[in-house]
Amino acid sequence: MTLSRSTLAHCFFRSLFLQAAWNRRGMQNLGFAYAVDPALRALYAGDPERRRAAMERHLGFFNCHPYTAAAILGGALHHEEKVAAGQERPREVEIYKSTLQGPLAAIGDGFFWTALRPFVGALAALGALAIGWPGVVLALTLYNAIHLSLRMTLFRAGYRQGDAVIGDIARLGLPAAAARLRVAAAALCGLCAALLGARSGVVPHSAGILFAVLGAAGGHLALSRGARLLPAAYAAMAAGTATALAASRLHGRF
Amino acid sequence: MTYLVLGVVAGLAAVERKGFLQAMLARPVVLGTLAGLALGDPVAGLFVGVPLELLWLGAVNLGASLPVHEALGTAVITGATVIAARALAAAGFTGPAVLPAIAVLSVALGAPMALVGRSAERMAERWNDRLLERAHEALATGSSAGMAQVNLLGLALPFGVGLVLAPAGAAIAGSIVSALLLRAPAALGPLGMGWAVFAGFACASGARALRDLRAPVYFHAALAAGALLAGSAALAGGGG
Repeated sequence: MTLSRSTLAHCFFRSLFLQAAWNRRGMQNLGFAYAVDPALRALYAGDPERRRAAMERHLGFFNCHPYTAAAILGGALHHEEKVAAGQERPREVEIYKSTLQGPLAAIGDGFFWTALRPFVGALAALGALAIGWPGVVLALTLYNAIHLSLRMTLFRAGYRQGDAVIGDIARLGLPAAAARLRVAAAALCGLCAALLGARSGVVPHSAGILFAVLGAAGGHLALSRGARLLPAAYAAMAAGTATALAASRLHGRF
Repeated sequence: MTYLVLGVVAGLAAVERKGFLQAMLARPVVLGTLAGLALGDPVAGLFVGVPLELLWLGAVNLGASLPVHEALGTAVITGATVIAARALAAAGFTGPAVLPAIAVLSVALGAPMALVGRSAERMAERWNDRLLERAHEALATGSSAGMAQVNLLGLALPFGVGLVLAPAGAAIAGSIVSALLLRAPAALGPLGMGWAVFAGFACASGARALRDLRAPVYFHAALAAGALLAGSAALAGGGG
């Protein structure tokens, strides 16, 4: 038996809740079992005992990046079809999941969390400074076009190819793209600093730009030397305010 | 009504941030705008959302590590900014110096809520351990469907945390900010400079979060280029 398109779509939709009940013992196991449930219901419609056994094997430890986990979910369904048909041992599903979750977590974290999302975040910030809220909407649209299409592609590839999905993921070249996105995001952060100074509401604008640039350069130096984020942020606010107070005393105005 | 709207927005953001979808809707630049829009002041929301996005650009959920709860921090800071801006406008405070001064004080008072949110998230993980036990119990009694549905119960606590803590934090921070500025209006200008330095610092935090050896070079080069361009534009535009 093969799973219907609507069942597959149902499983994919449920995978969006993968981390709903993230816990310390099984991590994303409850989410994975929730996502795979419609497929198991279809595969073991007349056999509650086999369905229960299948659910139990998906309650084992699972932790992956929530986007790239879509490939593992698709692959698990691929294997579950074979298990239900008696062509594979149930253990194959668990081996598949445990083998892929580590590498795919690393790929997902490296591309989405530490490259694409920061890049789009910085792009949204720059867009907001340049054109207002439409800049945020454009950046959000770009992110989700990439995120959702990759998530669906990985799910489909996992379901169709099972173990062979690894080759497809390798061909995407995500680590190289991530490296380019990170340096681009760093440049966007630099541009944002100058623009934030100009849009800070400080008059004259050149003073706002100067203070923001000093905050950026000094902040980068402090953080590079191991300063903690929140205390350093307070120090930045205090330094700017105190400098302005001192200047106002000297010049008698502000 | 303001507090209820803020609570619902913050609760939904807390759910979207980890439990469902993760489409960047809970990121500060988006949430700040949405929360500001919901509270009737999208300009203030965007004003604080942009630097907060860069400040917390590195707040990512890698493996089992827990980053600060940037969504709760943003909701509190945005709410406090809007509430204080309303109070000051009612008292006749207007002009470009007001919003930066409110924003810097709101960040100072509201940012620790991101740490409180992280503690609440740890609590939610412990609560989810109990959900796992419930799932095993449901499976043992033969209820496979009931076992699967347990997963959705994990969304309740993050939603509740946002629903309660965001309005409470915003109300306290907003009233302190407005009281401070009403008593010391002369501080508006200097606090604006504090905001400018903080905004620059936030960008540096964003650049530091990008774990790449070349990132500092690109950051400083773009910073210099941006300063030259923005500085020239400011001087040429007469506002300089």
